Amino acid sequence: MPDSEPTSQNTVTVALNAELCLGVGSCELLQPDQFRIDDDTAIAELVGDGAMSRVDAELVVDRCPSGALSIADDARS
Amino acid sequence: MSDASNGQQSPPAADMDGPGQVLDDQLNVTEPALYLDGIPHDRFQAIRSTPGLSWHPYEDGGFWAVTRHAEVKAVSKNAQVFSSAIGHTNLWDLEADALEARRSLIDTDAPDHTRLRRLIAAAFTPRNIRVWTDQVRAITVELLDDYLADGGGDWVEKVAAPLPIRVILAMLGVPVEDADYLVELSNYLVEGTGDQQSVPPDAFGNTTELRLLPFNSPASHALFEYGERLGELRRNDPRDDLVSQLVAAEQDGDRLSASEYRNLFHLLVFAGNETTRTALSHGAVALADNPDQWQRILDDHAVIESATEEIIRWATPVLHMRRTAAADTVLAGTEISAGQKVVMWYASANRDEAVFENPDSFDVGRPDNGHFAFGGGGPHMCLGAFLARLEVSVLLEEMAARSMRLERTSEPTRTRSNFVHGILSVDMTAAA
Repeated sequence: MPDSEPTSQNTVTVALNAELCLGVGSCELLQPDQFRIDDDTAIAELVGDGAMSRVDAELVVDRCPSGALSIADDARS
Repeated sequence: MSDASNGQQSPPAADMDGPGQVLDDQLNVTEPALYLDGIPHDRFQAIRSTPGLSWHPYEDGGFWAVTRHAEVKAVSKNAQVFSSAIGHTNLWDLEADALEARRSLIDTDAPDHTRLRRLIAAAFTPRNIRVWTDQVRAITVELLDDYLADGGGDWVEKVAAPLPIRVILAMLGVPVEDADYLVELSNYLVEGTGDQQSVPPDAFGNTTELRLLPFNSPASHALFEYGERLGELRRNDPRDDLVSQLVAAEQDGDRLSASEYRNLFHLLVFAGNETTRTALSHGAVALADNPDQWQRILDDHAVIESATEEIIRWATPVLHMRRTAAADTVLAGTEISAGQKVVMWYASANRDEAVFENPDSFDVGRPDNGHFAFGGGGPHMCLGAFLARLEVSVLLEEMAARSMRLERTSEPTRTRSNFVHGILSVDMTAAA
């Protein structure tokens, strides 16, 4: 599926556990507005609010090899 | 997918007379000579279609073969249960002192793995790899134009081998004039992944027991020595390169030990040489053998992005990695005991019919290519993944820009190894 605009119907929040991050950068590649790898520490920072469509969230969580990302909550609630 | 109805899931007895799980010889996938004819896909297909995991005798013991995409992913992502630090990440165990001497990023679990990976990870993120595009293109153009001027020749020697090694050596900060020496050393290491070596144990002035050296190769001694000399140079005169970064971390105290530096340097040279070479070799062979697929790229360069992923799936340069169960667990209905070997066969997962439509066809437009050629999605994912993608895609762009036509004039000569999917040589003709 193409990137879909988050709507109130399908928006979730992705949380980052920086302790696990290995600095691979898949998150920054997929969601450049949300994540950035710090070039000194090689640890991801959340630069957005973490809100994105469920489809995008599932992809970015799945493609993170470090296990540092998770779907934290349903933003609808 | 698990199959709870399969009743014969207990590990075999030590004498290998256990019921059901010991595969007959037709399903042996570890004999190195098998791979001289290519990956035994028919055997892997048969193993994939058997519920549960299959037990494969190997040397004094054996291993559980994980062959389906879903279960390779489950093992790869669960590093707490499926350890990289116990035993070895190759099929055979190492003695404790050898494992310590040879331990690299690949053979560690968190927190050591996290610390080591973070020392170099930033240089390999997609954003920082993109910076190398022009340099990769310049090297690619030079090699391709020479190849075309010659009308072709051995693709491996003339294009696939020099391209990635020149790039990784530039990133490390190895002087250009030393490149040939490091390529030579790296080629001896490739032999060490098979079961035949052409250099004597005391080559390169080596006095270390071979079992203490990566790939049991005296070339590892030479590569360690080279890395130490270069490290010394960069300690005194730091530059903007990876070796300078690493020796700075070493000087910081507890961030990188001397042994870790040696093994990391070794890993970067070897992995930068061997794996992308394999992808570029299989890619060229696949494009020559499937002219309709090459035509799709010529007709629409936008296909290069998906073609890059398909070439990497098709090549699967590393055939498997091993983990060792740190605790009793269950996978696909099969009970795994702590201490048992669990082997993820990427070569099989990348042809899993449950994930890939027509998995045995080379399709440069394949959508959603979630291949496992860079690992199964867990923390040990290939450090150079985005660099490899850059090299493959720039090569395709430059070949397409020249409307280059490759024709194969020899069978590929393959590596005698169940671990790397190497092509040693393949002759082609090339015309623009």
